[in-house]
Amino acid sequence: MEREFKSKKRYLIAFAIGTFIFLLIILSSYSISYWEFQRVSNLQISTSFDIFKDKLDYSLFDLGMCSNESFKKVSSDLGFQGRIIDDLERKIGKLDPRVIERKKFYTLVELEHFELVNLLNKQCNLNMQTILFFYSNDENSISKSEELGRLLGTLSGRHPDSLMIYSFDYNLDSDLIGKLKTKYKINEPFTIIINEKDKLVNPKEITELESYLK
Amino acid sequence: MEFIQIIVYLSIYVGLVATSFYILSYIYGIKKQRPLYEENELPFVSVIIPAYNEEMTIERTLDSIKKSEYPKEKFEIIVIDDGSKDNTLKVAKRYESEIVRVFHKENGGKGSALNFGISKAKGEIVFSMDADTIVSPLSMKRMVKYFKDSRIMSVSPGMVTEKPETIWQRVQYIEYLIGLLLRKAFATLDAIFVVPGAFSAYRKSFFEKYGGYEVENITEDLELALRIQASGFLTENCPEAPAYTRSPGTFKSLLLQRRRWYYGWIKNVWRYKSLFGRKTGDLGMFVLPVALLNIIFSLFVTFYLFFKTLGNVRDEFLFLQNVDFDVLNSITFNLYTIERTLFLLLSNPVILFILLFLVMIGIYLIYASKKIGKVHNIYFNLPIFFLLFSVLFGIWWIVSIFYALFTKNIKWK
Repeated sequence: MEREFKSKKRYLIAFAIGTFIFLLIILSSYSISYWEFQRVSNLQISTSFDIFKDKLDYSLFDLGMCSNESFKKVSSDLGFQGRIIDDLERKIGKLDPRVIERKKFYTLVELEHFELVNLLNKQCNLNMQTILFFYSNDENSISKSEELGRLLGTLSGRHPDSLMIYSFDYNLDSDLIGKLKTKYKINEPFTIIINEKDKLVNPKEITELESYLK
Repeated sequence: MEFIQIIVYLSIYVGLVATSFYILSYIYGIKKQRPLYEENELPFVSVIIPAYNEEMTIERTLDSIKKSEYPKEKFEIIVIDDGSKDNTLKVAKRYESEIVRVFHKENGGKGSALNFGISKAKGEIVFSMDADTIVSPLSMKRMVKYFKDSRIMSVSPGMVTEKPETIWQRVQYIEYLIGLLLRKAFATLDAIFVVPGAFSAYRKSFFEKYGGYEVENITEDLELALRIQASGFLTENCPEAPAYTRSPGTFKSLLLQRRRWYYGWIKNVWRYKSLFGRKTGDLGMFVLPVALLNIIFSLFVTFYLFFKTLGNVRDEFLFLQNVDFDVLNSITFNLYTIERTLFLLLSNPVILFILLFLVMIGIYLIYASKKIGKVHNIYFNLPIFFLLFSVLFGIWWIVSIFYALFTKNIKWK
């Protein structure tokens, strides 16, 4: 004897509830990504504002820049932005125009900061060192980029006050990136430029990197 | 999207639909109460306790069942000493009285001891009870009341484990508590296909008509539950009747238990594969297929996690080697690290689904605490369950499938 279903309608309701919750959670995760995107966008504006202000204080108003307190905060904000924009790129998609716009702006702010560091070195007789890191977020290069990023992160942890690392997306369609690649003769990702003169491709060990630092 | 991501999202989706369905079934089901025996209609009951080398626990078990609030003239306890090599028989003999009868037979396994007990039983309803299980005084009466409905051949209790001590017991403790609501939901769908061997009630006439326990079957209780379904009868569940079993305390003993259970599940479900399909209604079209899908998904995810973890450990080792094992400097910690970690977690749908399932487990546990009373150390046991269960579940199934494919015999003890 065949046993009857208790209620076929219940299957439909369960299917509707399950589908609704599933979609709601997916949507929520995307909302969190966009919320963070908004926050990073605002942070970018404030960071660039701080850098411009510092430079203007010096060049226009002759204010001493060597005792500048905001430099550390700006540097820390900048590092965070770089990482979170990469995360957003993976979440929202590398072709999303909003992400591309943020990355271009980030490149600009990084270079402003790079210029500020060079200025500080010159004017305040400091010895801050710089590394320009060209990574790639292509599917086959992500893990290699992350590995090198972590290596540089550890290097930065060892030299927290004297080393600045700037990362650039090798594949970003941007004039600035193009000019950087030409200036430093960059032909492939995973290339780093130390103190604007030494070029290394895909370094593996921290000792190798340290040997190039002053 | 990677293949494993598809599997993970598919399993989550199936899990959400199934959970919604079971909770809805439970809500609809409790509105439709089955007919129950009145106090004066309660039938005679025989509680059969097979025991093999249980001298340490049988006293407690007998004390607990003797305290049952069931009319004394309407129940008997039958202890079957299954050729124990310790003092089980001697301890049990001390309890011999008008309502406790003790028998000794040569060792033949649990099924054989239960069949022996059934042949001696006077009751219309027969309980099988492990010699290390204890019950609440009202459990027996509450379960027997369901037998008023003549289609019901078996009733399972609110099976839980005793207060846990080891990590492995803590995992099982939560697993059993979660099972309380699910089992009741299955009952409302007439779809219970597993009855705990540690304490369950059966209509004796079923054994007389369809045969007793299969002596050679390593999960004779599962076979019996499937046979009840295949014969067109029903199994009920009574979560208000707590029965406490002792769970394995070590990884090895737990693995051996699960290997026996799951190996038995594979063999018996294959044997009763005719239960799948339209003719058994919700059981064949939803409950069994979802259980099977759950196992398949777990296997995929466990395999993936295993190889992924191996790969990650290797990468991490290589990385640390490259930075001269400078662990401290390889980790940055500031407010931004927290923000980024939170962002990465909360923007990952899988993590949000895990949080949702945590809430669901919370609901299951609230239900359990209403049915069986206090839940021990929930804030400690739940995270342990969450961290370990899905991995253990996958491991148990992989080992069991391996045994089902490449070995012939798994013995009871």
